[in-house]
Amino acid sequence: MEETVMESDSVDISGSGSGPGVAEAWETVTAALVSPGCPVTEQGLSDSLALLCDQGLGRLLGSWLLETLQMRLSSSVVPEFWSGLKQPENELEERDRAWILLTAFRTLLDRLEPFLCGLERLGTWQDEGRGGLCGPGPRGLQERAFTIIRALLLFSPSPVLQERVLEFYSRTFSVYMNQEGEAEDGAEAPEGPEGAVCPGCGVLTQQCWCQEALEQLQELSHILSKLQLLEWVSSEAVTSILHKLIEQRMEQHCRGEYECSFLLEFQEWLELVLGWLSKVFASEADSGGPVPAPGAPGVQAGSSVLKQWRCHMHQFFCRIYVNMRIEELFSIIRDFPESKAAIEDLKFCLERTNQRQQLLTSLKSAFESRLLHPGVHTSDILTVYISAIKALRELDPSMVILQVACQPIRKYLRTREDTVRQIVAGLTGDAEGCTDLASELSRGDPVTLEMQDSDEEGNDPEDWTPDPTDAVPDKMGSKRRSSDIISLLVSIYGSKDIFIDEYRAVLADRLLHQLNYNTAREIRNVELLKLRFGESHMHYCEVMLKDMADSRRINSNIREEESRLSEEEQPPLSLSAIILSSEFWPPLKEEKLELPPLICQAMEAYTHRYEKLKAMRTLSWKPHLGSVTLDVELEDRTLTNLTVTPIHAAIILHFQEKSSWTLDELSVKLGAPKELVHRKLALWQQHGVLREEAGGRYYVVETGSSKEKMERGVMLIDSDEERDSNTTTQSEQREEKLQLFWAYIQAMLTNLDSMTLDRIHSMLRMFVATGPVVTEMDCQRAGGLPAEEGQGASADGLSRRLQTPQIQLMEQEEEEEEEEEEAAECVRRCVHVLWGTSASGAAFIITELQMKSEEPPPTCRPGLYFDTSTSL
Amino acid sequence: MASQNMDPAAAAASSTVALKGSESGGSAARSSVSKRLQQELMTLMMSGDKGISAFPESDNLFKWIGTIDGAQGTVYEGLRYRLSLDFPAGYPYQAPRVKFVTPCFHPNVDEQGFICLDILKDKWSALYDVRSILLSIQSLLGEPNNESPLNMTAAELWEDQEAFKAHLHSTFQK
Repeated sequence: MEETVMESDSVDISGSGSGPGVAEAWETVTAALVSPGCPVTEQGLSDSLALLCDQGLGRLLGSWLLETLQMRLSSSVVPEFWSGLKQPENELEERDRAWILLTAFRTLLDRLEPFLCGLERLGTWQDEGRGGLCGPGPRGLQERAFTIIRALLLFSPSPVLQERVLEFYSRTFSVYMNQEGEAEDGAEAPEGPEGAVCPGCGVLTQQCWCQEALEQLQELSHILSKLQLLEWVSSEAVTSILHKLIEQRMEQHCRGEYECSFLLEFQEWLELVLGWLSKVFASEADSGGPVPAPGAPGVQAGSSVLKQWRCHMHQFFCRIYVNMRIEELFSIIRDFPESKAAIEDLKFCLERTNQRQQLLTSLKSAFESRLLHPGVHTSDILTVYISAIKALRELDPSMVILQVACQPIRKYLRTREDTVRQIVAGLTGDAEGCTDLASELSRGDPVTLEMQDSDEEGNDPEDWTPDPTDAVPDKMGSKRRSSDIISLLVSIYGSKDIFIDEYRAVLADRLLHQLNYNTAREIRNVELLKLRFGESHMHYCEVMLKDMADSRRINSNIREEESRLSEEEQPPLSLSAIILSSEFWPPLKEEKLELPPLICQAMEAYTHRYEKLKAMRTLSWKPHLGSVTLDVELEDRTLTNLTVTPIHAAIILHFQEKSSWTLDELSVKLGAPKELVHRKLALWQQHGVLREEAGGRYYVVETGSSKEKMERGVMLIDSDEERDSNTTTQSEQREEKLQLFWAYIQAMLTNLDSMTLDRIHSMLRMFVATGPVVTEMDCQRAGGLPAEEGQGASADGLSRRLQTPQIQLMEQEEEEEEEEEEAAECVRRCVHVLWGTSASGAAFIITELQMKSEEPPPTCRPGLYFDTSTSL
Repeated sequence: MASQNMDPAAAAASSTVALKGSESGGSAARSSVSKRLQQELMTLMMSGDKGISAFPESDNLFKWIGTIDGAQGTVYEGLRYRLSLDFPAGYPYQAPRVKFVTPCFHPNVDEQGFICLDILKDKWSALYDVRSILLSIQSLLGEPNNESPLNMTAAELWEDQEAFKAHLHSTFQK
């Protein structure tokens, strides 16, 4: 060996003065590496290697090979690949494009194959330590080679590659899916009139290249995995295909369909897709043959890639599904009991994506834009709210979503006048739409108001789950977050009493309109409400019902007594009365009406009998309430069984004694205002019983003037009958209440400077002992009330102030209109400033704004200061 | 209701008063006092008197804050005084303790704000109520009793209404 070294005169590589033997050996070795086909004997090779290593050239082999690879790549292989890919500029069939793509990669592999093999061999030698060779081994070398390839090849990829790959994958995907799941994809491929289009490859069946495409896919995957380009070339395409397909499929299958669950179906479909993915990604594992030794890790790598993709896919799916459902959530809620499946799906997916916030925002804005505007009837809002409660408690058992998302609804409902009435109507089953409430009521769980302490403390502490992070930090803990529909509705106003008051009014109305003693239905409702609200709250209603029962008894008693009288003593008309305990009924409408003596006598007799029955008590009649059934006998005709109000009856009775009256006379006689009498007369005119003549006199039409008049009368009957409520209206009562509150609030603010709304509320609750219940709403309304009634700027100022956390009575010393307006404007500005800068939870105090007449426009003198000691 | 929601410290203070006073104590008596005070509050609210006003200071119904505007045509016109009203547990058989919180320059009011007014002392009767007390004090402002002055300077200055007014307004502090 020494001699050979001496003999070598090659200076080409190392210049270390080695002999010609070295050059020869180099030639031998490199030839063996680059062109594996050349005949070199193992012995010669080993010798050459040993020689090279002796000369210290062994470690240069790897670098040389890589260097050569790089040179070759940049000089010819890469340009060839790209031009091959772009080569045919003109439009081509998809099939041809696929072919070109494949060919380009094939050539690439062909060109690189020798190097890769060479590296492999060198690596093996290194591993074997042949001729003292050492180095990183085949893996390391190949790793470096692949890095070089990737770097050079994809340094500036042209979009054409991505396009082609995408197209090719989409095609193979559809082919694959077509073969695997023919049944369900039938609908997707529209059968042309010729009916001969292959659903997989989208060309005429004769030219179908499905099989070919799959084979191509396999080959391409193979090549790519061999060059370790798979991930780099395919990932993006695959991702976008999956995205697009899942989205597409979801649009086609799920949008607008809430009634069945899609989870399972999609799961199955995703498994199918996974089959295709395995074709794309796992081919290196399948290939088996060419990778003999390290096959096992290859398989593992393949399956782990697949696993990763499965996760990805699942994630895509969930995200896309949640996105879609969030968009549709309003409709889903609207259809709730039917859309339960969709809610369950959504719940499943929502747990896997972090989109609660998105859901909340979107749902809130959906509510605001689709529900909470003046065009929607209150009962519809309530219906949706109820559905929302039901749906969202399925979706999120912690009720946080419900609480947060429905806040706008509750706030809005508070501003609607008829909310309470609608809810009560719903509870009693009067409303057309909301049957939910009535059935909910009959379930009969007691109302747990959020304001009250519930006794559900006994829960197992082990069952405790923390609130989701988006929960509103509020006074009530999570356990107080109720999902009971009635409780939630009732708590809109924060007090049961307002509902019970309303129910009382409704009940009174019904009982008094019925005018019979039948209370079966009301008893049922009251009993159910008792279960809900507790006995004590329903006490008044109970008394009302008892009044009805008592009245019935007393009435029959009196009747019986009357019937025992002799013929001539029989009362001229049969009178029935409903006897109310006035303390317990809502205030009845006061109207003056003097009834004709005949009726008065009957009433007196009745009273007399009553007093005999119930010692120490008497009756105070409400002459204007009730109903009278009478027959009107005229010369030529009789109107029978007319049911009219007492005032109508009184009017016509007066005509019995005198056939013509003026309006004034009647009004005096009845003790009722003229307008009212005039209105009531209309009924008789319509019946053709009375007519008005010049001078405002009314005459009885004794002889039936004409048939058609009669008919017209029948047609117009009751046109006058506004179905008045017997009780004073809610708004009248409220007005009075608010006047009282206003006095209290004024006094409070005068003496105690400034207060928060909360504080005012609690003070009112504490000190307004008698009278109706105060709600926070009422405080606000009371604040607003004087402003509406135009009590000037100070009131206006106050009502503006109500928007700020702290409330203070405003005082103006000036009476002049303009200045007052300016002052109000000033206050408004202050309020805006405050509002704009206030951090929630901090209290502000506005110092008193006083105006001097000399100072022209009031300056914003008030020192606004931040008071952290008073917290809200 | 109010008696149950009372500030415990205040309740303790008032109960010592009760012991000192009529010795009647007892929750029944207390609740009847509360009821009376509540009723008085309601009357005051409904009366709509101009220039006088009062309201319980906090949850405690036995401590009120009152406000009196100086009556028109007197030197006190345009000035607003704040008072504190403290009701003993023996109310209305014992007079409430009323004093000015806003410093008041007046012949019958001393520097601590104590008021010399017969109906708050020996002439007290259970028939008086918050409203009559406030009205009395309001009229006292315009018509001081210079026979028994607490504030000599004020009593001497009273004769010269102009000077009194000037002094009053220059020293008035809210």
